[in-house]
Amino acid sequence: MKFLSNVPTTHKVFAGLVLAVLYALPLFIKSPVMLQIFILIFFYAYLTSSWNFVGGFAGVLPLGHSAFVGLGAYTSTLLYLTYNISPWVGMIAGGIVAVAFGLLIGIPTLKLRGAYFALATIAFAEGLRVLVENIEKLGPFEVRGPKGLLISLVGNSFKDFQFLSKVPYYYIILTMLVLVLILTFFMMRSKVGYYLAAGGEEPEAAEALGIKVSKYKLIAMAISCFLTALGGTFYAQLVLYFYPKSIMGLDMSYEIAFIALIGGRSTILGPVLGAFLLRPVGELTRIYLGDTLPGLHLIIFGLVLIIVMRYQPRGLVEPVSKWLTAIFDRIENRRRA
Amino acid sequence: MALLEVKGVTKQFGGLTAVNNVDMEVQEGQIVGIIGPNGAGKTTLFSCIAGSHVPTKGSIKFNGTEIAGKRPYDICKLGVTRTFQVVKPFANKTVLYNTTVGAFAKTNRLDVAEEKAMEVLKLIDLYDKKDVPAKNLTLPERKRLELARALATEPKLLLLDEVMAGLRPSEVAEMLPVIRKINSVGVSIVIVEHIMQAIMNLSEKVYVINFGKKIAEGDPHKVVAEEEVIKAYLGDEYVANSH
Repeated sequence: MKFLSNVPTTHKVFAGLVLAVLYALPLFIKSPVMLQIFILIFFYAYLTSSWNFVGGFAGVLPLGHSAFVGLGAYTSTLLYLTYNISPWVGMIAGGIVAVAFGLLIGIPTLKLRGAYFALATIAFAEGLRVLVENIEKLGPFEVRGPKGLLISLVGNSFKDFQFLSKVPYYYIILTMLVLVLILTFFMMRSKVGYYLAAGGEEPEAAEALGIKVSKYKLIAMAISCFLTALGGTFYAQLVLYFYPKSIMGLDMSYEIAFIALIGGRSTILGPVLGAFLLRPVGELTRIYLGDTLPGLHLIIFGLVLIIVMRYQPRGLVEPVSKWLTAIFDRIENRRRA
Repeated sequence: MALLEVKGVTKQFGGLTAVNNVDMEVQEGQIVGIIGPNGAGKTTLFSCIAGSHVPTKGSIKFNGTEIAGKRPYDICKLGVTRTFQVVKPFANKTVLYNTTVGAFAKTNRLDVAEEKAMEVLKLIDLYDKKDVPAKNLTLPERKRLELARALATEPKLLLLDEVMAGLRPSEVAEMLPVIRKINSVGVSIVIVEHIMQAIMNLSEKVYVINFGKKIAEGDPHKVVAEEEVIKAYLGDEYVANSH
């Protein structure tokens, strides 16, 4: 545990406590609706953390990540429906497909800066969605265009990635989230992390220091696309029915970006904080106002984003972590005294 | 064999010839200065060596390897690192983080890179600021950080682009021993500078460039007495008066 040696004890204890509470939560929460809300919070925290590798650490703003969610979902589900390949295996295949597409669009676009990269990714995601909507059959695969894919119920089966209760989904996505956060932690403390931060901020200076900026951005893109696609398979198995607009629509891409920007990019906990703050708003407006004002949550997110950018341009994680650190320091001092 | 050998380098931007057929040599262990009036093409020549520009014509050899047209990161890997006239620190990161980025050029391990970075920070007297974010540094400190970062890549040749521009005379006086110290640990240096006091003090040899052309080279004290150089800096009438 040498790598944790410079993390203060109180931080470790706090992280341990939070994890214990989250892992114990399904013992107390029995309502599937509540569990579903938590599952979606973790799901979005997971997607945003995956997005963070490019959108945070590589310093560009991708706005089409739902394309990779869709690629993951479609790949694993088509393999399952056509060849009865377990979604767990299909998940990895989906990741690889997403990496291929990610590199394909990353190579020409990652050199673009600011809004141009964002626009290119939007165009890619929308293009891919329209393409899928127009494909009925692709080789042996029944893509079914805008009608989408339906995974038939087989009851509780780990191999088929299907569970009647929400609890297994809860544990799967929580574990995926914890793993991606651990990966982020290690990435930030590695050469790749340092090089991404340098290349994102001052590309010219970074190159002079021996950093092949475009190569490291592509590495980040590959990691990000792979992880995002795994999330896509999870989502497909959670809802069991999806169509292009529901799984690769731009509102999902925007929501990821909103969560990241409000929570705090290029930090470990920013995406988690953002998801915990924004997802419940999304769920509640959808439950109570979904019929009359669909999409209201995006308007609310937009307003929150404007306010956060005005007063905390680096995201809410900064004041929150300052505040937590102050509390931890007080505890630490009292413990020593 | 010279460490750096520049032969007939020309750089044109459209119709403008910024550097015109310049030859230059740096021996191992030397400090070589490049001087010249504003817009003479010093920084462009520099950028050609460091790989930020591709020369239109000519050859640049480092340690016998042709580097003209290579990308900056490849040239850095070979042992030539530059600093920027307008400093470009990673502003939100600490001094140590900035320097560690440089040190990663020779290792993949964070602990090794951090150790190297601390060694460099001690060498150039920035160690006590290691945990300060770069954006909170004063200008002289930022210039030093620029040096530290470049030095952490363990270059054989360091290209310094006006590291003393904008500094007060007392700050320049503090910078000179730092540059000498870097040279004394075995790093050859090419330095572009406006401040004559600094150049005269440091370099064994200077090249004078005007309108992209080399107009003089040699011992700094002799070179500044040459007619062409006085003309370039002060105008024709001063040459006439001195006769």
